[in-house]
Amino acid sequence: MVTTIDEPKIRPEWLLGGAVTLLGAIIIVVVTMVLGAGEDEPVVAPADATELTANTCAADLRQPHWVPDDVLKAVAECPAEISAGMGRTTAEDHLGTWITYTLDGAENAETFRGRPGAGWPEEEVRGGAFHPASAIVYVAYPGSEELSGKLSGDTVTVEWQDLTESGLEARVTRVDNNGFGPVRVEWTDDVGSYLLLATIGRTPTANAGPSVAELIRIADSVAAEDE
Amino acid sequence: MPTTRTWLQAGGGTVVLALIVAAVVQAANSSATWVSNDPVGECGRTSGGQVVAAQNVLSAATGLETVDGTWDSQSEAATRAFQAYNGLPVDGCVDTSTWVTMRALAISLCDPDYSCQGPDHRIRYAAPGGARDAYLAENDCDWGSYVLPGVARSPVASNKVIALSRDAVTEIKCGG
Repeated sequence: MVTTIDEPKIRPEWLLGGAVTLLGAIIIVVVTMVLGAGEDEPVVAPADATELTANTCAADLRQPHWVPDDVLKAVAECPAEISAGMGRTTAEDHLGTWITYTLDGAENAETFRGRPGAGWPEEEVRGGAFHPASAIVYVAYPGSEELSGKLSGDTVTVEWQDLTESGLEARVTRVDNNGFGPVRVEWTDDVGSYLLLATIGRTPTANAGPSVAELIRIADSVAAEDE
Repeated sequence: MPTTRTWLQAGGGTVVLALIVAAVVQAANSSATWVSNDPVGECGRTSGGQVVAAQNVLSAATGLETVDGTWDSQSEAATRAFQAYNGLPVDGCVDTSTWVTMRALAISLCDPDYSCQGPDHRIRYAAPGGARDAYLAENDCDWGSYVLPGVARSPVASNKVIALSRDAVTEIKCGG
């Protein structure tokens, strides 16, 4: 008896199905890679705040080494830019250098819609729904030995606070409107004088801007790590 | 009997003392203009230099687009938003506490040791389309508003420093 064993045959439809499956897998991988490449890398706060102004005109300036985690970017303006932006010739040698740190997060984002007026429902305005973006402004005046003129007013409080890390002392001026309002922190060191300004803002859901303690910590970080 | 030299010394001393007192009083008045201004809005002045100053600050703080020295509903809405964000009573009136809050936002452009000429203070707000700025000038006699082109509307000129405490929109002239 002769037994015939058929050799297994690769049927054409199997080949076709395999090719289609392989092609589909390749397409999925390629599309995923292309889409993934288009996504932004998550922005994280740098370990040292001076990295935010690297490669700008303020790179060599004495500036904060620490900022709150909400700060992800900064814009530096040096005297030449400030003078030009004003549209009026100004001597640059006594102008300060400004760094504006913007704060991330919904409560810190600008919420204006169109121009002020009838399109702004009064109840929403009253509740603080229309507000600017939160920012911390830092100004350095190299070579200066003085602070700005002392502010006064019934709602103004002025006190001196120790900057424990740097061993300096800062003048903290608040316009205290029920816990909200502008805060100025000013101090001098052996290189110049400095100012930090931010507003503790009232929004419908939360406070906007940094706390006073955070501003003090920012100020303390300016000199502490440069010495 | 005092000699002529004594009289001259006494007279000279008196003149020096008077100059010092005048300087101190003027400096005090200069900084006080921000805390003792008249109310602006429906509660007070509706035109003039103080309206220009308030509108100038509001242009930076809220995006108010027109600074013309005449109070209107847009100015009032902008004031209300400014007051709400800063924790002030929301009434649309630029009163003393609102003036003080605005003043605290102004940062000297020049180092505090040095007296710049012209616009020497700035209020800056970060904004999605770029920062919004308002410029001010602290002079011996008064503060002034320097309004940027594109925001200033007649009779406010963008290249002049407008006196804050004048009833009309006029360029600042100290000693005049």
